[in-house]
Amino acid sequence: MATLDFEGTSYEVDEDGYLIDWQQWNEGLAGAMAKEDGLELGEAHWEVIKFLRDYFEKYQIAPMIKILTKELKKKYGKEKGNTKYLYELYPAGPAKQACRYAGLPKPTGCV
Amino acid sequence: MNNGRSFKAQKVIDRMGQKLTRQMVGSLTACVHCGMCTDSCHYVLANPGDPTYAPAYKADKIRKLFKHHYDWTGKVFPKWVKAGSVYTDEELEELKDTVFGKCTNCRRCTVNCPMGVDLATFNRMARGLLCHVGIMPEGVEYVAKEQWEIGNQMGVLKEDYIETIEWQEEELQEEMGDPDAKIPIDKKDAHIVYSINPREVKHDPRSILDAAKIFYAAKEDYTMPSEGWDMTNFGLFNGDDDLGGAVASRVYDKVDELNGKKLVISECGHGYRSTRCEGPNWGKRDIAFEAESSVITMLRYIKEGKIKVDKSKNPGAYTFHDSCNNARSCGLTEEPRELLSLVVEEFREMYPNRAENFCCTGGGGAMSMSEYKPERLKSAKIKADQLTATGTHTVVTSCHNCVDGLNDLIGHYKIDMEVTQLVHLVANALVM
Repeated sequence: MATLDFEGTSYEVDEDGYLIDWQQWNEGLAGAMAKEDGLELGEAHWEVIKFLRDYFEKYQIAPMIKILTKELKKKYGKEKGNTKYLYELYPAGPAKQACRYAGLPKPTGCV
Repeated sequence: MNNGRSFKAQKVIDRMGQKLTRQMVGSLTACVHCGMCTDSCHYVLANPGDPTYAPAYKADKIRKLFKHHYDWTGKVFPKWVKAGSVYTDEELEELKDTVFGKCTNCRRCTVNCPMGVDLATFNRMARGLLCHVGIMPEGVEYVAKEQWEIGNQMGVLKEDYIETIEWQEEELQEEMGDPDAKIPIDKKDAHIVYSINPREVKHDPRSILDAAKIFYAAKEDYTMPSEGWDMTNFGLFNGDDDLGGAVASRVYDKVDELNGKKLVISECGHGYRSTRCEGPNWGKRDIAFEAESSVITMLRYIKEGKIKVDKSKNPGAYTFHDSCNNARSCGLTEEPRELLSLVVEEFREMYPNRAENFCCTGGGGAMSMSEYKPERLKSAKIKADQLTATGTHTVVTSCHNCVDGLNDLIGHYKIDMEVTQLVHLVANALVM
């Protein structure tokens, strides 16, 4: 099993870099993962990550993109509630990139 | 225990006898160890010092079982033909690491074998034998279960699928400025039934919208089915013909129910191969309709003047990556090139190409097997060099899985390139 070291603690991650235990997650860890990808997390990134965390806590599953865009639209308006915006924020895709920063497990299947 | 063999090991041996086809036996007996396959495998080329990646070495792991249990030569002179058996679950785990972790079933060695040995075919069989006793990578097991139980590989529920299509319909209406623009669901007697990959619904519906734009522009009489819409098939990857047949049959049954004239399969290599080429065999049935790749559909629209495109909308140089399943297993090599040349400013060939192209390195279900990722990315060096040599800004491919495989290695090797599919380029080039 691979590990990710952050501020003196070693976190277990899978070979794709997804946290094994989603409850070990903290905000600093998300920032560290993004930094490794050369990305600075801004307010807009956090809006997505926070929604993903809340949703996962409630349902133990990552939301479909339909739900993610719908909820972002409700909360932050139309310009943030669409697929294009999400892919601009997270070029590797909300499922693969944002979920990883949010400490959620790797999406399964052909992705 | 049989002859000191574990329960699972015995099951694997027994099952092999039921799964051997004439083609497999031909492949298992024809190898002359000439080494042509060694030079054609991207795993070998990227790991020159490691003989365990050589196709002939991998094949021998399966061949020894065949020789020992099912071939007379193994009974008469077992040592000479290297016959051998498996006894423990640990040995089966080792076999798993070979058949799942060291081969993407890309068939490049197959097309380069002078004896016609189809390694990928019996490698897939070996995967199936292991799956039969529950030995497979966790990711593959999970996805196969979703496909068996929920009906698509990402566990998307029917209402979520329909809501997503409706959401894309709204986007279509907005972008086209036409409140009557539709993405029909379950329309009877339509000319085309359009099937997709679940990732399009679950993670990235931009390809659904782009396809809808093209259908709209071409004034096509089409529909998306409410069920049996998943044309992907993990039966191809885990070697389970029963799963393969069940998944393909769901798609076929729905086309029959809707009385569709033609099944169009969105850009997905393994889905195209499974649904168009392998499914009828796995499902032991015939299909009464035509099945085609959306690449061919889009090309026909341009040739027949049903849609107009402006290639200057996609400026710069693009290269094309052939998916293994499309190019080597289905011969879909010329249509994507012709289409690409019509919708981008410059198309630049990648070398080698067509049936000789190298795998995206994420094929055969490898993207679902995290445990082998470090080896996969190391072996992707071959593909990385091939991409870089084109000097283009974007690589185009007709396979969702290749998109992810390529994106992964582009990130790993820090290559300044984007990955896209034909549907996006055609939609972007549309002149309404």
